[in-house]
Amino acid sequence: MRIRRYLEIYRVQIKNNWVREAVYRANFLTAIMVDLVWIGVEFSLFSVIYANTDELAGWTRSQTYFFLGMFFASDALFTTLFQRNFWNFSDLVNKGELDILLTKPVHPLFLSLSRWINLTAVFNIFLGLAIVIRYAHSAGFEGGWRWLLVAFWLLMGLFVQILLRFAFSIWIFWTERSFALSRLYYQFYAFATKPDRLFPRMIRYLVLTALPFAFIGSVPARALLHGLEWDEFFRLLLVLAAFYALNAFLWRRGLKRYQSASS
Amino acid sequence: MIKTAWRLAALKNGFQDAIAYRIEFLFEILGAAFVPAAIQWVLWYALFRIGGAERVAGMTYGDMVQYTLTSLLFTQIRGGDNDFELAEMVRSGQLSNYLLRPVGVVEFVYIRGVAPKLMLAGICLLLGSGVGLFFGLSPLRMAAGMLLALVGNVIHYQVGAALATTAFLWEESYAVLMVKNLIVSLLSGELIPLNLFPASLQWIWKSTPFYLYVFGPTQVALGRWSCATFAGHLAIACAWMLFGWMLIRVTWGMGIKRYSSIGG
Repeated sequence: MRIRRYLEIYRVQIKNNWVREAVYRANFLTAIMVDLVWIGVEFSLFSVIYANTDELAGWTRSQTYFFLGMFFASDALFTTLFQRNFWNFSDLVNKGELDILLTKPVHPLFLSLSRWINLTAVFNIFLGLAIVIRYAHSAGFEGGWRWLLVAFWLLMGLFVQILLRFAFSIWIFWTERSFALSRLYYQFYAFATKPDRLFPRMIRYLVLTALPFAFIGSVPARALLHGLEWDEFFRLLLVLAAFYALNAFLWRRGLKRYQSASS
Repeated sequence: MIKTAWRLAALKNGFQDAIAYRIEFLFEILGAAFVPAAIQWVLWYALFRIGGAERVAGMTYGDMVQYTLTSLLFTQIRGGDNDFELAEMVRSGQLSNYLLRPVGVVEFVYIRGVAPKLMLAGICLLLGSGVGLFFGLSPLRMAAGMLLALVGNVIHYQVGAALATTAFLWEESYAVLMVKNLIVSLLSGELIPLNLFPASLQWIWKSTPFYLYVFGPTQVALGRWSCATFAGHLAIACAWMLFGWMLIRVTWGMGIKRYSSIGG
């Protein structure tokens, strides 16, 4: 019953967003243009590097492109469902708009993070997947039933992005402006755009623990191409659980501190 | 006299803004400096340390790291979001306020926005000259590199300001500026030294002014460009600046004619 209520609310949110996107059609072309150039720049960067070497820390050109496809698809999934909500999260707190959400009979976080859906970014999910399919064979991906794992790892990447972005956004309860932290998040996000095997030990440890950006695209690509050891699975679960607990704790403390419009 | 007064006031305003939001300013520097450097280092580490390469495009691991660290100083100077501010002013109709004032809006936005960059240029120059002495880098070359980086900052804004006039025609003009920034990130030498480009593709970065933002200044500071080469590229930079100035005159002249003051 409760799940049905949430599903119904989400259906209405999608409908409302669809209507809004239909009005701003130019936005669709814009988003595609920017993302295509972004993808082009990342591909060009690796093309230049691979013009000077055959392998990069054991990753061939095709494997790196396969990773980029997974990363772009995962990023686009997050952009579609959550990105705008996180950008607007600071307004909810600063302007006191969270008040109204707290009075609703559903979890305020559900409403906070599901209001804005960027349907134009759906195209980029398919673009990322097209890159994955294009380079799957030459990268050594075995295919078959393992294609189902692609969906699993995309969802895992999405979950990691939500936890990470939330951990950077929640501080708005204590700070007046969230722009700097959001910007810092996107600076660190650059770590997600490279395979984790490339990183020196210290940075690699960091992107697999305290700043687990490697779980967005790199670890999923590695899992699909080479498989993961059990201890890596265990570490993944541990990090996710730790971030979930931290976020839940900060959310509760933040709500206690929240003083409506004056917060 | 009056002309100088508003420019100084705008600059002061910009300095005060940067100082008022110190934490944001600090976060921005930290993010803008160390993350791109770490990403570069990662690539060199993978190429040389893990991959075992001795030289890539004639550069050793030490050369690459030296490039990365020095380029940090100039990465701080390039860019700025002032062109986005211009586009937003056109889109939202705020431009009207400026049309009534005796100041040029394009210049005003730049002067106010360049203040934190000038502050950073001073800090980076002091830091680079001080630390560079221990590694045999000449402070004079560091200053020459910073000069080129500052000229690059002007060109970057000019290109952005010209592109911002698409806001007179299109609501989503920010996309054009985003695309420009993405291309600049690759062709400025911020991500990799541009001599890594294969010989057949070198013309790409040579035919834009973007290499004058980071790659050029870094080459000057590291002594990889002779004085004559530096002078040549400075002349090219001045030519780009002149072209940028003319481009702004034309694009803003055309844009203002279209402007309807209710959002462009």
